[in-house]
Amino acid sequence: MTDAYTRAVNTGLTKALATRLGLPRPALLRRFEAGAPLTVGPVLLLADAASAASADALEGVLAGWGVEVARSGGGAPAGGVEDSGSGRGLDASTPAEGLDPAQTTPVRWGAILLVLTESGRPSDVSDAVLAAGPALKRLAPHGRVVTVSRAHAPGDAPALAAVRQGVDGFLRSVAKELRAGATGNGIVLADGAAVDNPSAQAALRFFLSARSAYVDGQLLTVSTGAAADAPGPEYWARPLEGRVAVVTGAARGIGAAIARTLARDGATVVCVDVPAAGEGLARTANAVRGTALQVDVTAPDAGARILEHARGRHGRLDIVVHNAGITRDKLLANMDAARWDSVVAVNVEAQLRINEALLAAAAAGDVDGLRIVSLASTSGIAGNRGQTNYAFTKAGVMGHTAATAALLAPHGGTANAVAPGFIETEMTQHIPFATRQVARRLSSLLQGGEPVDVAEAIAFLASPLAAGISGQTLRVCGQNMVGR
Amino acid sequence: MTAALTTSTGEPLDVESLPAVPGLGGLYARGAAAAGRIAAGRALPAIPGLGSSAPTDDAPLALPRTAYRVAGVQTAGLRTHLRDYQRLLHEPGADALPSGYLHVLAFPLATAVMVRGDFPLPLLGMVHLANDASLLRPVTVGEPLEVRAWSENLRAHRRGVTVDLVAEVHTDGELAWHGVSTYLAKGFEAPSTAEAPADPAPRGDWVPPLPTGRWALPGGTGRAYAAISGDRNPIHLSSLSAKAFGFPRAIAHGMYTAARALAEVGPQRGSAYRWTVDFSRPVLLPSTVDVAITADDHGFAYVGWNSGRQSRHFAGTVAPLHSR
Amino acid sequence: MSRSPQPDAPRTSPPGPRDAVVVGGNRIPFARAGRKYADASNQELLTAAIEGLVARFGLQGERLGEVAGGAVLKHSRDFNLVRECVLGSSLSPQTPAYDVQQACATGLEAAIAVTNKIRLGQIDSGIAGGTDTISDAPIAVSEGLRHVLLEATHAKTLQGRLKALAKLRPADLKPLTPVTDEPRTGLSMGEHQAITTARWGITRQAQDDVALASHRHLARAWDEGFFDDLVTPFHGLTRDDNLRPDTSSEKLAALAPVFGKALAGTAEPTMTAGNSTPLTDGASAVLLASREWAQEHDLPVLARFVDAETAAVDFVHGHEGLLMAPVHAVPRLLARNGLTVDDIDFFEIHEAFASTVLTTLAAWEDDEYCRTELGLDGAFGKVDRARINVNGSSLAAGHPFAATGGRILATAAKLVAQRAASTGEPVRALISVCAAGGLGATALIESA
Repeated sequence: MTDAYTRAVNTGLTKALATRLGLPRPALLRRFEAGAPLTVGPVLLLADAASAASADALEGVLAGWGVEVARSGGGAPAGGVEDSGSGRGLDASTPAEGLDPAQTTPVRWGAILLVLTESGRPSDVSDAVLAAGPALKRLAPHGRVVTVSRAHAPGDAPALAAVRQGVDGFLRSVAKELRAGATGNGIVLADGAAVDNPSAQAALRFFLSARSAYVDGQLLTVSTGAAADAPGPEYWARPLEGRVAVVTGAARGIGAAIARTLARDGATVVCVDVPAAGEGLARTANAVRGTALQVDVTAPDAGARILEHARGRHGRLDIVVHNAGITRDKLLANMDAARWDSVVAVNVEAQLRINEALLAAAAAGDVDGLRIVSLASTSGIAGNRGQTNYAFTKAGVMGHTAATAALLAPHGGTANAVAPGFIETEMTQHIPFATRQVARRLSSLLQGGEPVDVAEAIAFLASPLAAGISGQTLRVCGQNMVGR
Repeated sequence: MTAALTTSTGEPLDVESLPAVPGLGGLYARGAAAAGRIAAGRALPAIPGLGSSAPTDDAPLALPRTAYRVAGVQTAGLRTHLRDYQRLLHEPGADALPSGYLHVLAFPLATAVMVRGDFPLPLLGMVHLANDASLLRPVTVGEPLEVRAWSENLRAHRRGVTVDLVAEVHTDGELAWHGVSTYLAKGFEAPSTAEAPADPAPRGDWVPPLPTGRWALPGGTGRAYAAISGDRNPIHLSSLSAKAFGFPRAIAHGMYTAARALAEVGPQRGSAYRWTVDFSRPVLLPSTVDVAITADDHGFAYVGWNSGRQSRHFAGTVAPLHSR
Repeated sequence: MSRSPQPDAPRTSPPGPRDAVVVGGNRIPFARAGRKYADASNQELLTAAIEGLVARFGLQGERLGEVAGGAVLKHSRDFNLVRECVLGSSLSPQTPAYDVQQACATGLEAAIAVTNKIRLGQIDSGIAGGTDTISDAPIAVSEGLRHVLLEATHAKTLQGRLKALAKLRPADLKPLTPVTDEPRTGLSMGEHQAITTARWGITRQAQDDVALASHRHLARAWDEGFFDDLVTPFHGLTRDDNLRPDTSSEKLAALAPVFGKALAGTAEPTMTAGNSTPLTDGASAVLLASREWAQEHDLPVLARFVDAETAAVDFVHGHEGLLMAPVHAVPRLLARNGLTVDDIDFFEIHEAFASTVLTTLAAWEDDEYCRTELGLDGAFGKVDRARINVNGSSLAAGHPFAATGGRILATAAKLVAQRAASTGEPVRALISVCAAGGLGATALIESA
């Protein structure tokens, strides 16, 4: 469902024309395909001097995934490259020789991983960051830049806080310099989490992979989660194997994509939507070999019915995705009660009421390690004219997500939100043409995302290894220019 | 070869054997001519040369004392014709000849009697009042038949005279079917002085029962039955031809309606049965006819009327007989 | 010379009778003919109903014992209608299927067939369904054209074919649309019921009351979400579009009679478009199984399918009303199970016409009739009106002939399950469906 402009500037005659005219050329994003390599090329691992040990740990993780890694010390950005000593390392300045002697074209990095976890003050990171600069020129299309840093916390020394917060601004800016479908995202370790703890590994893998195609310029805070088992390849192939997931609003659009993606990752999916949407719901349920549950999420007993269905039919409940949502746009001056109240009822009150039932079930031990993922929106972050009601509820989702995370933590559960930017759906098809074009181009990736992009982020947050990620809102917006 | 034959009242009949059952087309031409002679003879008795072979007003009406007989009538070639009859009348597609079909087979011979020079009444213009036919034993397509026909029982009617045309079908030397068709010739006087029977209940008093069936009879019903039965009396064929005889539209053959009723009694009529009908008012085509076919102690009674009106078209009975 | 069976020899016999249960149902909303489903075929309608059922119970790729169902108005191309629906569904293509046809009783008869096989142990699971569309009904050629075409097809020479074709008459070219007239009487079902209505002296007011109740009950059930897990929308239709929640006695009273008008002078016509079912398109499917199969698949059980009885009446010569067969079947069914009308908590009497319900009840309350026609000692009994069609029936929902049995069975099973869950007492429902041809199918279900 890539938009027509993006297709045109990437194919045939119109591609040549667009290049001549210097028109912005949004890339055709690389998306997940079973069996495809994790990255589009080798990973260049850069670290400041203090973070070398962290880099070592991550190199081991990458090697375990079968990813080729090149190391470059912070002291020699353009010249003498230190050998990592792992035997798998590559000389960053002459990667072609190392990779394939027969290959005459220089290597294109699949990703640049910048490890800055142990930097003590802003001046510490110079070498590593400046080494990344020239390497960016050799970043392959669809390449990745990932920073790994630590969150600053109350009581940090000012210099430490400065460098840790500095990574935030650095990453967001790097992301905006990337082209050709490449993205930049950051992992921010909190609470002293080990750099290679399972949740950090899951986050790193997500950011490196094609699953995060439309996630750009985002920093995700990762703590040490409850899940601890070192996962094997079978986990990464089907991370949701044996899990039972509920997706609301699953009849079409993003909800249907979420159901498909969760099922692809191994989950049994209970597809929920209002009875009136049952036709599409049945289609989704049959496509993912799940079950259809026709229930209005605003019904007082919606939570109970969801729990009863999931546990009664499938024996358990592991994942709830609050995707159901509506828009009733109107300038506040013209807003009527019906528009305001219906949006509030569906987009936030329903989630709150269902979460109450889920929390009660967690407290009763009926569900364990629950993952709740709610749909927020960039409108809830940046605001949007004519969407006071919608933005109110979507910001509310981010608020209750943080609060719910704390309540679920004792039961091993997490609550997160995903905030999509402009996604190509039936809903956005109805936006007027010019507005739609502007909305698409107003991001670093110069295009709207696909429903599957949102779904991938949700599947990641819903996965067992994401136990250390909670209370977060992850934007899936191609680094939309609006908001933070 | 002639056998001794008598009327139902025992009067002897001369038997005249014909080589084959005559074609109805030719009979109608002769019938029309004879009707013209009869009418002319009654109206203009003084003109010589006209009505020479017809009875005049001066002499009392008398029926010919002759019965026609055709032996060895082959039915093996009639399968297709029988099938067409069965489809039209809703009879099941069996090999047994329904009573109505035997009527169709015998009808031309009875008509031949009515177009004889010495038959005193005009073929065209006569009204079929009633029919009473008994199928005494099953007759199967393929069996050779002997068909006989004569006229009898000329009697007074409120509106003229009636005459019975009797037809019989014999198989293997035994009587298998016996049919009596009663016709009214309006405006003629009966030979006897007996009082004409009074008219049955005046119109309008009759209240129809709840129907058990409904027939939607299209405009071509008369033409369809004419094609099967050979009875191409113009009153059945089109509005135009019917108007010439005083009907506003074509009318259904009475025997078509009676034969439909017979068919709709169904298998419970048995393989031998008596089937009667009295015709009241003609069915103007096209028409919707409601019928009530109800079982009683003796068999079935049926009545047909104009749907939604209190206007009866026909009534009759179908009673099983013990097969001989 | 006989040989006594050796005591240790294995006996070859299927498992003995066991319970068959109703797991759940699904239908698409019923649509008035020529509206929302105007361009949908029987196969599409039934496939949609089956797909919704598959989605509800997660039956994708499942090999069921069988799928039985049918349509009353059927194209000749649909000779294997139900099997084609299975092949077009998410069920395993290894699921056998066959078509059933018993006029309006098709759906219930299919359920009887499937549950009998389950009870005998021949199968463990199955779907009973039905569909009908008036909008996409087959159009037949006239008998004349048909015979000419057949003759021409069978002719061996061009000359023979031309000779056959020469018999064609302009009138033969008029297509025949399907009619609901009884072939043996030429009376439509409505006219037949008008006669039965007249014979039992059912009033216009009583019929309109039944119609009003049907609409009110169905509307309430929809509003309560009763159909949330019984219906899957189709072609944008989310509710039965024949339903008139705002109808009233006054509106119903204002309608002109449509049936029995020809009886004027004999009986007042009382049957209107309001107290008769409209021509409707739709489809339904019910999932039936052994108790064990349901348990193994973690599926709920709404009700046990206890027993069924079909009947036929001699209507051709008016001895009995066309739609009175269930009146005969139900006393036999209840007697066999040692029950009386008072033991039944829910009566689902298909509302072919409002007067069908009323003539059924009147007959059961008539001493003389029950003695002479049903062979009972006296009146069968008086049914508590509050137990009849409590969530509406065909007058409000519409009546796509073969789909009605499935609609009623699923509704009754859910009613039974709900009542049993709230009271903890055993609950029974009786289903009665009258059908063309003087047929009737009835069934007894009980809380599981």
